Amino acid sequence: MNMSKVNTLTLAALFLALTILAVPSARADMLVLTGATVHPVSSEPLENATIVIEEGRISAVGTELQWPSDAEVVELDGLHLYPGFVHPATQLGLTEISSVAGTVDTNEMGSINAALRAEVAINHDSYLLPTTIAGGVLTAHVMPNGGLIKGTSAVVNLDGWSWEEMVIHSPVGMHIEFPVAAVDDENNEDLKTIENVLDLARHHDQAMQAAERGDAPAPARNSQLEALAPLLRGEQALYLRANRYDVMEAALDWAADQGFENVVLMANPDVQYLAERLASDGIPVILRNVYAMPTRRWEAYDMAFVAATRLAEAGVRFAIADSGSGMDIANARNLPFQAGTAAAHGLDKADALKSVTLWPAQILGVGDQLGSIEVGKRASLFAATGDALEPMSRIERVWIDGEEYDLSRDHGRSLYPRYRERNAEVQSR
Amino acid sequence: MIRQIAVAGLVAALALTSGTSHAQWTPDIESWNSPKPEQPDTVLFRNATVWTADEAGILEETDLLVRDGRIDAIGESLRAPRNAIEIDASGMHITPGIIDAHSHAAILGGVNESSRISTADVRIRDVIDPESINIYRQLAGGVTTINLLHGSANAIGGQMAVIKLRWGDAPDDLVIDSARPGIKFALGENPKQSNWSNDNPRYPRTRQGVAQIIMEKFQQAAEYQQAVDSAPRGRSARDVVLPRPDHELAAIAEILSGERDIHSHAYRADEMLALMELVEKFGVQIGTFQHVLEGYKIAPRMAEHGAGGSAFIDWYAFKYEARDAIAFNPALMHEAGVLTGLHSDNPELARRMNLEAAKAVRYGQVDEHEALKMITLYPATQLRIDDRTGSLEEGKDADLVVWNGHPLSVYSRVEQTWVDGRQYFDRAADQRMREELEQERAELMALALDQGEESDDTASSEPAEAEAPPGMRSFAAHLTSGMPQHSHLHGFAAHLVGYRKSELSHDDFCLFHFE
Repeated sequence: MNMSKVNTLTLAALFLALTILAVPSARADMLVLTGATVHPVSSEPLENATIVIEEGRISAVGTELQWPSDAEVVELDGLHLYPGFVHPATQLGLTEISSVAGTVDTNEMGSINAALRAEVAINHDSYLLPTTIAGGVLTAHVMPNGGLIKGTSAVVNLDGWSWEEMVIHSPVGMHIEFPVAAVDDENNEDLKTIENVLDLARHHDQAMQAAERGDAPAPARNSQLEALAPLLRGEQALYLRANRYDVMEAALDWAADQGFENVVLMANPDVQYLAERLASDGIPVILRNVYAMPTRRWEAYDMAFVAATRLAEAGVRFAIADSGSGMDIANARNLPFQAGTAAAHGLDKADALKSVTLWPAQILGVGDQLGSIEVGKRASLFAATGDALEPMSRIERVWIDGEEYDLSRDHGRSLYPRYRERNAEVQSR
Repeated sequence: MIRQIAVAGLVAALALTSGTSHAQWTPDIESWNSPKPEQPDTVLFRNATVWTADEAGILEETDLLVRDGRIDAIGESLRAPRNAIEIDASGMHITPGIIDAHSHAAILGGVNESSRISTADVRIRDVIDPESINIYRQLAGGVTTINLLHGSANAIGGQMAVIKLRWGDAPDDLVIDSARPGIKFALGENPKQSNWSNDNPRYPRTRQGVAQIIMEKFQQAAEYQQAVDSAPRGRSARDVVLPRPDHELAAIAEILSGERDIHSHAYRADEMLALMELVEKFGVQIGTFQHVLEGYKIAPRMAEHGAGGSAFIDWYAFKYEARDAIAFNPALMHEAGVLTGLHSDNPELARRMNLEAAKAVRYGQVDEHEALKMITLYPATQLRIDDRTGSLEEGKDADLVVWNGHPLSVYSRVEQTWVDGRQYFDRAADQRMREELEQERAELMALALDQGEESDDTASSEPAEAEAPPGMRSFAAHLTSGMPQHSHLHGFAAHLVGYRKSELSHDDFCLFHFE
């Protein structure tokens, strides 16, 4: 690199510093983002539009807006504003370096972990979070992953000073894995274990209620059984997990037998084979991975790529996720590209965008707060250089609840300028 | 029977096709039952946007003529030779076939020979699986050439094989013989066994030890080669004991003589510096660092040495040594003058390498055409096959991809993939295959149900296939004999059905898939 490039870099850094210095002088309680193409998701894109943000919420969206002269105004000409992506199922915050056991809190041992709450182990300073945010994923549904009954999940802001502050909605639901072997075995031991625990929990809940009425002495406390009470009373969703369509089918039958009415199915691309049933039963789906090998060797090469399209065609409510585990945790930032690939294989582009914004928000019970750019919603947004599902686009600025996020907190964005300058310096010697 | 009829029909269809219409080639889900795509004398792609990955740049509304499997001409309004197959590529984009410089997608019998610290004597060439379904699916993603490498269990691994994706040909016929011989090395956590172990403890356990053992092997190989070279020949050889052939040291000696390139798995800056310093003492230049996660920290040093960088673009945080992996790495290496490519290391990811290139635009604003070169020309150059493939230039092999849109766009799809001027993937043919398979499945089900009624009381322990027509039997036997038990696999593959072990094998020590 030559010296003029280095000078440009220095100038750019100086300019950035000046911008930041200028902020405090503007009116603190109103932020105006203007000049960008706004993609509300819930409606058609608006060119050269404005978003007004007050107290962390969107207070106005439009093309003909006016604002007080002392409002803080951010010009975003040429950029595209999107609502933050909502990750429908991940374990972000629960792991740091997956091969270093001490940093991994994803999978508890044992079969019954109903009383576990995923959010209490979220490391709010996990270095994976800024990188995920820099990819436009601003909100995530963080789930537990150990055993048959895994515990409850939470929707969290990916930025915050503590997990308590990050939580937007908790508990979202109770996570149960349907045992694969139970698909053709009514006496499957794992399934019996789940059913026995649910029965115990029902009795325990009855006993607790009787005690509250003063009809009986209180039973011994049992945190695992008590944690299941909201699910059994129908106050909490069942997040039912299964991979392979026959297992999913058995799982859905089982959930119906158990009387669960509020079910969300978390499933791999095989779920497309149950699309009609899911549509008629009104069961929403979290599709775990568009980027997957076809389940069966003899299936078409694009079997996983078309799964979302098949769900959409049948009228199933769905959201697109990654596997939410393993390597996908650190790379949750690639979520939008999975939706993009689904669009390359038949999914309507607008639906692809919804499948990683508005639809997951609605399925997770936070559709009134997140997932679109609408008045009253949280101002969690990002500005990109182009279509947000395109890997070629760059994300330039991020706001979470109306506060601009410092993207240099992303490990990559902090090391990039440092080493770029260093390498140029070495090579100019 | 049904298959034989189908094949006969296909042959008839091929025979009938001539002139400007396109042959109705239809593949099968099994390579051994797929007719090898013919190589037409001439194919003329009309009116495409041609991404040459060459100095010619991106050419709009351009024709591309293929003759006898080579690119014959690129230009506007080319004259069609007699009987040329013409393909209207209006609105389409044509790029060179994608080259994946780090793959384990078609290796039989395991990727890691994890016994010794140096296994320079083992050869991927002996264990190529040309029938892997991964090959077909990667063709469907526009990949035409892959570098099959051993895993990263050993400081000095085995000999690699660069293959073209001539799906279903004999193993040796996939190998690009003109590629420079290469060998896998590995540094860091994997060879020092940080996250795994053999039954018997194995030296080394530190990065210093990895560097030392490589040094020692180089010295041994140099002495071995000297002994071989100085051994008497002809008459005088009768009276002495000649050096015992040592395939391990012979392969390492080829590194020292510059005949074999090192492609070294490496993450951290320190270990890469140590290897560069070490090989420089022997006058050796490293071919590439593979994964090269911290390449950006020492990019000027790599450029000075002449080592290429073959990178994941955005994997990080799966091991401690991947902590400082950043997606800007390829852009930074490229900017510093390192010959930079992007690879998959994963048979699923390999199906969408164009999007990995797109991320080089996202992270560090690499020019789009340069980003495309990171999955075509630059890996070809790293593997020393750029005289044959990697860009669209007159005289090069007709390895090319037809996309239905911008090749780096997430919304684009591969329509056709050509290898040596043979169309190995065609989306339309793939659709026909699905319909034929569906029909065949229905017919077989009917057949199986019929036979089930007939043989109810025979209590045969043999499955229905024993009664099936000859073609069927081999089909079923092939499927079941290769059916792996997946208990050894990590989460990502646990629910997959019917795959052969080779199709799911990967470098267990490189990527961690915890579920």
